[in-house]
Amino acid sequence: MNTTSHLLLMALFAGCVAVVGGVLLKDTPREQARTAAEIFGSLAGAALVLGWVLYFLPI
Amino acid sequence: MAERPSSKRAARPAGTAPAAPRAARPLALVYLLGWLVPGGGHLWLGRTVKGFVFLVMLPAMFVIGLALDGRLFPFTPGDPLVALASLANLGSGLPYFIARTLGFGAGRALAATYEFGNAFLITAGLLNALIIIDAHDIALGRK
Repeated sequence: MNTTSHLLLMALFAGCVAVVGGVLLKDTPREQARTAAEIFGSLAGAALVLGWVLYFLPI
Repeated sequence: MAERPSSKRAARPAGTAPAAPRAARPLALVYLLGWLVPGGGHLWLGRTVKGFVFLVMLPAMFVIGLALDGRLFPFTPGDPLVALASLANLGSGLPYFIARTLGFGAGRALAATYEFGNAFLITAGLLNALIIIDAHDIALGRK
């Protein structure tokens, strides 16, 4: 795969996990979409927050 | 808006068919089919929409992982983390064996996407384990 954009790959990963998680956890399409959106937001949001926190740590 | 309990119980999820009697679905076969073919357990139990979503998404994640130069880890008991990653890889079922047979999954540690590839490959196997547990609950009539 040619892309090396970590942000894009992170979003792709979060999207895949969100779709599977939403479909797995809920039974109606509306609930599945909502849960998938929540999982995606949680994963992507946590990654961005952690990324900025680590950016300021002198490691 | 919250649904009333009675209507919630009566409603069947869209795209699902009533499952056959439990006796016709040996649990061991549900596990085996669900492991080898991601979503296969759900398809066999009549949960077609869920089954097809899993059938598409998990192999897609596996292929993306391989395309990102991820590694299919060998089972090495002396290195616990690698052994765990190997077990997680094994969770993908048939895609794992096909990739192994065709010589994919050697991994390229110097690639910028190597860790992302591993994350996709490992997560695909672990998600399939969760899906098998879900199929188990469906087969027992809990869902």
